[in-house]
Amino acid sequence: MRITEWLTPSNPCRQFENNEQLFQALKSLNNSAIRCVQNKAMPSAKKLVEQYKLAPESVDELLNQSSLIFLRKIEDGSYQFQGHAPSSYLVEIMKRVALSMTRKRQTTYESIEDHHDLHDPDIEASNRQRESAELVRQFLGQMGEPCESVIRLHHIEGYPDDEVVRQGWTRYTTTDSLKIKRSDCMKKLIQIARQWKITNNI
Amino acid sequence: MEDYEQYLNDNADDYERRAAAQVLEGLAGLRLEAKLREVAAEQAAQHRRTIWRRLLFTLAALAFLAAVAYWFFSKNVSTPSVPPIEKQAPSSPSPSKKQTPEQYKLEKPREKPPIAQIKPQEEVPVPPDPIFPTFALQDEVIPEPLHAAPDLVAMRGQGEANAALKALLDRFWYVNYPPFGLKIDATYDSADQLLKKRDFSAAYLALEQIEQMQADSLSLRIARENQKLLEKDPTASPVAASPLANDTLLYLKAYCLLEMGEGQEAIFYFSRMRFPDPAWIPQLTWYRALALLQADKRSEALALFNTIAVNSVHPYRRQARKALKLLQ
Repeated sequence: MRITEWLTPSNPCRQFENNEQLFQALKSLNNSAIRCVQNKAMPSAKKLVEQYKLAPESVDELLNQSSLIFLRKIEDGSYQFQGHAPSSYLVEIMKRVALSMTRKRQTTYESIEDHHDLHDPDIEASNRQRESAELVRQFLGQMGEPCESVIRLHHIEGYPDDEVVRQGWTRYTTTDSLKIKRSDCMKKLIQIARQWKITNNI
Repeated sequence: MEDYEQYLNDNADDYERRAAAQVLEGLAGLRLEAKLREVAAEQAAQHRRTIWRRLLFTLAALAFLAAVAYWFFSKNVSTPSVPPIEKQAPSSPSPSKKQTPEQYKLEKPREKPPIAQIKPQEEVPVPPDPIFPTFALQDEVIPEPLHAAPDLVAMRGQGEANAALKALLDRFWYVNYPPFGLKIDATYDSADQLLKKRDFSAAYLALEQIEQMQADSLSLRIARENQKLLEKDPTASPVAASPLANDTLLYLKAYCLLEMGEGQEAIFYFSRMRFPDPAWIPQLTWYRALALLQADKRSEALALFNTIAVNSVHPYRRQARKALKLLQ
């Protein structure tokens, strides 16, 4: 390894030969792929923060929120690979997120009604997902163990069942018993969410 | 399909389906958040790793530079064991103007007056120390000699006194070859090479041969002159061959003997020098003091060391102070 390579951060994009490979890796939430697009979009994030006169520390928030929307759109299939660099789509999302961030800042001294026509469906979906995530986090906390771990390991951290059993992260020693327990826990979680909806008349 | 999915498809009411959709949306959101946190942690770890690597590299580079600088400067300090010429030796005529160390090195004497005619000089402003300029402010700190003193035990036999004297001389055996200011012509090539190799016995033999050749050549010339003289005037008295007065040869032989541990013999040759170059005088004085010490003439040596030590422009004054300190 050359000294210059040793002294500079490794380039996560190196392992993807083309944009399609990168897109496929993003679909499977590959860490290097996410880092690759984030690294590519970072200069634009800095520029946008400067351009929209946002706080300098908003760069990370802007990148993070945009990445969330970007990954969700890949996951639900609303973003399809068409030969373009995925990072350019992320930059497009960032522009809209940066704009919404400036609107959020303006609401402190302007009425919300002035901007209702500027609402962005992607950002609204993202905010809705964030609220749902917060609720689920609360419900999981209410359920306690072992349901919290069983659901978290599979649905949030994405570990395969055999890995969970092999590592002994739960008390279940077979994948079947783990699956049965998780299904029970999911039913309980849905019931808690249902009850919450009824209570709050949503 | 998991059991709860089957339940949602078959038996769930509208509320349950909407609740399930919200739960799944929330879980997906949590999964993406967790993933982005993981990526951010990876990124931060790599950033930290890069910073540490750069820091390590910088430290290593600085350490390397420091080592090179230390090596360079320590080499420069220890190399100059050869004292540069110093025209204002204690017994040489005083210069009419202030001289720079460079002038000290380059200027040659205009004439070679006999030692007896050399008048003590006036005190002149102290120039920068030409021998150890780096130690100008650290008065008594001078590097150790480059060479060891001759093995007096081998020369004079076993004896505590000889071993002690050798150990003492080792501490201030500041000698160098060629002696400062001495011009060595082609006549002395063979001896010069041997002296550079510090093979003093062989060098001494070579010098003896040169001396013999020079003496033979001189005798032959005088014999021819006498013959011519007698041819012109048969009553004229023939010229006697005078002893050879070659100061270069004498200096080299004395230096050789000094390095061989023959102090007494060295003093003899030093004293036979008739018109030594004034540029030689400071070093000659120092060598004479060393020779006196070798010859067990301690009080005379001390006197000479003292003379050198108190002379503020003598190039060997610090060495002399060191010698005096060690001899006390």
